[in-house]
Amino acid sequence: MSLRATLIDEIETITRDQGKAMPPLTDELVLIDTEFDSLCFALLVARMEDRFGIDPFSTLEIADLPVTLGDLIALYDRSSLAGAA
Amino acid sequence: MSGRVVLVTGGTRGIGLATAVALAGDGFHVVAVARRRSEAFAAASAGVSGGSLHFIPCDLGELDRLQQLVQTIRREHGPLYGLVANAAIGTPGLLATMPDAEIGRLVHLNTLSPMLLTKYAMRGMMAAGAGRIVTIASIIAFTGYNALSVYAATKASMIGFTRSLAREAGRLGVTVNAVAPGFVETEMTESMDEAQRERVAARSALRRLVAPEDVASAVAYLVSDKARNITGTVMTVDAGSTA
Repeated sequence: MSLRATLIDEIETITRDQGKAMPPLTDELVLIDTEFDSLCFALLVARMEDRFGIDPFSTLEIADLPVTLGDLIALYDRSSLAGAA
Repeated sequence: MSGRVVLVTGGTRGIGLATAVALAGDGFHVVAVARRRSEAFAAASAGVSGGSLHFIPCDLGELDRLQQLVQTIRREHGPLYGLVANAAIGTPGLLATMPDAEIGRLVHLNTLSPMLLTKYAMRGMMAAGAGRIVTIASIIAFTGYNALSVYAATKASMIGFTRSLAREAGRLGVTVNAVAPGFVETEMTESMDEAQRERVAARSALRRLVAPEDVASAVAYLVSDKARNITGTVMTVDAGSTA
């Protein structure tokens, strides 16, 4: 499963487990406008580190935090490439 | 139930070693982390029955290695079920004359390091929906003692950390508790002379000092399944010093 597909799969699993209703998961979706709260986000980071061993948030500056789902996927893509390099 | 992995920092000496031995005796797969293995640890790990006792060298003051440490444990031992954040230093000193660097070192090792380690160790527990975190505070977090103000502040910080983290982690099935020992006979308190020891013992309700094994029993209980409904609390083990 690709990184993008895994990320979306995890978001769907977490929101289902936490009883959150989400709009369609498009790249333009602004995460802060959804029910995907800080706990969901923490779970997502934990599960992604668990599956891929990458954590783009440990060294990130606040200004670079992802806004849209597309930003989040790109952030993980960059972190994955940096880890592989 | 048996074989679940628990990380014990400072697990080669004093309270940490006693805790590692108690947890291994309860069937856990214990990974002790410290700068170096001690003779007492080597002897204890040979005599363990039930679970097992392992060692990974790491200087917990090197904060940028903590995430890697958790990943190494996961790779070599399996997913973490528990963390006992025990490692700490107990440097005494009057605040007015304590070197700034020494104050910084106390906060670095006793507060910052356990917070960051907990951050990374907790992630696997969050992903699994179960886990145990036990921090080691001290009765000095809530009672005064001459020449231990900085140490006291670091231990009080662990209690605040524990209570709020319990709120965050509870929804994920992870419990977070602190144990606050009184004066325990370990290398950390060996600088006390006999008269000081007697004074401390005389002030306690039970007229004696606490042994590392007493603290270890409290930690082992909080890690066990029996403590599944206990979180955000501080268990005092001080022979009644603060009673």
